[in-house]
Amino acid sequence: MLAEGVNGLFGHSALIVGLAASVFGAGALATATLLKDQRLVRTVQGYVWVVLVGAIMAVVVMQRALITRDWSIAYVQKVGSYDTPALFNFTALWSALEGSILLWLLLLAIYTTIVARRYRTRMADPLVAWALVVMLLVTAFFFFLALGPTDAFRAGGVPNFDQCCAGPNPLLQNHVLVLFHPPILYLGYVGFTVPFAFAIGALITGRVGEGWLMETRRWALFAWGFLTLGIVLGSWWSYEVLGWGGVWAWDPVENASLLPWLTGTAYIHSVLVQERRGMLRVWNLSLLLATFSLTILGTFLTRSGVINSVHAFSDGTIGPYLLGFFGVIVVVSLGLIAWRGDRLRSPGAIDSPISREGAFLANNVIFTLFAFVVLLGTVFPLIVEAKDDRQIAVGSPFFDTMAQPIGIALLFLMAVAPVLPWRKASTELLRERLFWPAWCGAGALLLAILLGATGFAPLLAFGLAGFAGGSATRQLVLATRRQGYRGLLGRANGGMVVHLGIILIAVGLTASNTYTRAGEFTMTKGDVVEFAGHTFELQDVVDFSGPGTVGVKALVSIDGGQAYAPAITKYTAQGMDIATPSVKTGVLRDIYLTLENGSKPSTGVAKLKIFIKPMIVWLWVGGLLCGVGTVLAAFPGKHRRKPTDPVSAPVPLDEPVPDSLQDAAHE
Amino acid sequence: MSEPQVDLGDDSPAKPRRVAPFVVLGVLVVMIALFVVLAGSSSGPKDEVGLIESPLLGRAAPTVRSTTLDDTPFDLARRKGSWVVVNFFNSTCAPCRAEHPELVKFAEQQRSFGADGAELYTMLQINDDIDRVKSFFLSRGGDWPIVRDDEGTVNVDFGVALVPETFIIDPDGVVVVRWAGQIDAETLSRLVQQQRDLYELS
Amino acid sequence: MSRTSAWKRWPGWLALFLVVGGLLAYGAVKDSGPLTPEERVEEITKRIACPVCDGETVYESANPSSVAIRAEVKAQVAQAQNSDDEIVAFIVQQFGDQTQLVPNATGFDSLVWILPAMALVCAAVGLFFAFRKWKHNVDAVPDDDDRARVAEAMAAEEPDGVES
Repeated sequence: MLAEGVNGLFGHSALIVGLAASVFGAGALATATLLKDQRLVRTVQGYVWVVLVGAIMAVVVMQRALITRDWSIAYVQKVGSYDTPALFNFTALWSALEGSILLWLLLLAIYTTIVARRYRTRMADPLVAWALVVMLLVTAFFFFLALGPTDAFRAGGVPNFDQCCAGPNPLLQNHVLVLFHPPILYLGYVGFTVPFAFAIGALITGRVGEGWLMETRRWALFAWGFLTLGIVLGSWWSYEVLGWGGVWAWDPVENASLLPWLTGTAYIHSVLVQERRGMLRVWNLSLLLATFSLTILGTFLTRSGVINSVHAFSDGTIGPYLLGFFGVIVVVSLGLIAWRGDRLRSPGAIDSPISREGAFLANNVIFTLFAFVVLLGTVFPLIVEAKDDRQIAVGSPFFDTMAQPIGIALLFLMAVAPVLPWRKASTELLRERLFWPAWCGAGALLLAILLGATGFAPLLAFGLAGFAGGSATRQLVLATRRQGYRGLLGRANGGMVVHLGIILIAVGLTASNTYTRAGEFTMTKGDVVEFAGHTFELQDVVDFSGPGTVGVKALVSIDGGQAYAPAITKYTAQGMDIATPSVKTGVLRDIYLTLENGSKPSTGVAKLKIFIKPMIVWLWVGGLLCGVGTVLAAFPGKHRRKPTDPVSAPVPLDEPVPDSLQDAAHE
Repeated sequence: MSEPQVDLGDDSPAKPRRVAPFVVLGVLVVMIALFVVLAGSSSGPKDEVGLIESPLLGRAAPTVRSTTLDDTPFDLARRKGSWVVVNFFNSTCAPCRAEHPELVKFAEQQRSFGADGAELYTMLQINDDIDRVKSFFLSRGGDWPIVRDDEGTVNVDFGVALVPETFIIDPDGVVVVRWAGQIDAETLSRLVQQQRDLYELS
Repeated sequence: MSRTSAWKRWPGWLALFLVVGGLLAYGAVKDSGPLTPEERVEEITKRIACPVCDGETVYESANPSSVAIRAEVKAQVAQAQNSDDEIVAFIVQQFGDQTQLVPNATGFDSLVWILPAMALVCAAVGLFFAFRKWKHNVDAVPDDDDRARVAEAMAAEEPDGVES
């Protein structure tokens, strides 16, 4: 083995220092809290700084090694090459398992530092202290991973340039989204550590007053926003890079990101019930614990190699540690709930299913069920393998079948829930408030039919989407009428903007799943084909080359306009052919061209696959709206409720109240 | 996953019951089962190399009617009477290219047996680049017939997904061996000899 | 918006239900035309996993084996002898169980369909009992003290009380 190079030495040192600081910090803070030693409590700030510095150092050193092509490090041999452009050389940090753990670690250290700094004056509170202990312990686990099982700074020996140093996987070096998608997704995953830590803190101290909830709600909201954005960007990346014309394939890696999203979404809704009515405390805690556990479980499933997937970087060595960590989290969480659960439960009742809290409850049941279905479908092949030693697959048709009724039920809830008052709704009130939204739904249905949509389920989805859109818009219109632009701020109103985004995504998914058309054509230069009402002229087939790549691209003019150039790029080092699609984007449909093997400039022959994908752009706009809505929701609204405010107020529904006031009082 | 209805805070203040431990116990049992399944699941690639099962084994080989690269008609049924080795190949597949010298060696060995030697055929995949195949065989040797599969039926009928794969077919036209992954000349000759002995015994 | 107008009481809603029902019926009927061979190939190949690439369907995969399977399905559809299920079963028999993307509804595999349904029923029953219990709990009526406290807090809030 080669003597350790300077980068390896610095990287390992940074990780060891970070590990030590997080372990000692957690130990010191736990001891201090148990002994009520305020002087010791204050030392934890120092430990946290060291943790942050350790994580930053590790990432900086790895970047330095990548930039200088330090071949003494195995990871650089794995993902580095002289040909990789600077941007993708930078993103090579997270283009394989070891580096992605470093990224995770960095984000975790940043979150930990922010928590420690933000609550530095409240460290005396055992709840906050225990939360920070949990964060430090999780950080310690990831430092341990980065040092042991996924050592990114392992010495690589003398590089054999015939076999190594080919650069990142070609799929991870041909689109700029690779710069944004993984970090944003990780910000989401890692972000849920904070509410998880506070949930554990609340269970340990047995104090589950609404105070801690206020603190974690915004953290959860941010994590949720990043996760949402990360998932949407991932779909976009898949659409732009993978060349199969789809955005979501129910692949295990995709499911792994969806699982915490589902439970997280359930949480950010049901937490409102707790805040308003003081109920569902244990349930909310469980959702936070489940969200974090599912994050780790998803990481295990996709990083350990037990499930194969196009997106996975699997490595057999990390599996047992992640599974063990998952087991510890589950046992600790369940143990704490068994111990404290009964004490935390709140008195109170939900008077009527037809009420805001009733709708949130229904929402939770559906989201939990959805998560259960996704988890079951993902691990079911493993269960069958364990039982019968048979290989089976559970694929997208299963998930599509299951997701369709669930999606329709959720759209219906999104249509009705925003107008429901707390406590109890009267038929009278529903008839009044739902009237225009329902007509929006009818309008959307009519529009869909005019645009040529057919089929019962898709039309139902479009109609309900219009209905839900109407409800969300109604709330925003009422709020902005009262408060001007501030009517867009705050949780309820920002939430409606998110709803609009989700509705756009639902419409886009329904349309693109149902009405996609695809055709394959073998064309010679000069040929014109007609497909789905568009003409495609093959203008030319040409060779091209870049650093480390050679390729073929076809120039195809759509409807006599500009030429689009789907290509096949061969990454010579890896010997991998990557088909890069070319997309003509439109509001109602994308035209998506891919080139297939067998296309040759010498003969002027191109094998083209043409997809007509309706309403794909709605997904990206919807994702953007979700992000904007999350930011709006994070701003305080017109006035904040204090934890001591009454959680609900009696409003006599049987007395004639002016509608405008009644509306206002209920929302 | 925890069941949705576990703890919706449904207690009555009158008689607080201990519910949480029981709910937790239920969830724990499910989680332990999940844990056991996950811990027991094998990791790593599941691609096997070597002899593998096939519904075709012991049955008549599927019909193959096609043409070779030099446009001669090819019909597998007409090869009855001699031992046939069919090697599925793709010019873009690295293990196929790596195993090629071994096949050349095997073909030479069998040729030395004269009329008793097994016949070797390369079966292409549907969308391979014919020019690339030709230039590959030109530069790396190998003068046995290369059969096209432009409709993809042969690959589907043999159930071949991941090339290279090698089948041995006896003189009655029955499939007797399916080998997945790279093979070397020695193994292939041994397998043919084994089958030949079995065949002569029966 | 003033008092609920007579129009919104029921004639408007009746009109709405008629319109929506009519449109849905029209759209559903329009869809029920026979499938073209092209659509059948698409539906069948979406139910088959590419035998060698992880997590792609034959419909979308560019792997040679998927291309071959697509061609085979196309040929069988053109012959118009076998049903969709039979074609899928044929391919699965050739390439192994892991190419079948829709799990069987029989035997142990059917659990993947049954368990979600059971979970839904459990959740519905659980909610039903929870609501029944809550209904009995409403006896906990606020006393005068509670009302006074609420009134005081309400007065401190701004009158329109819009939730943030």
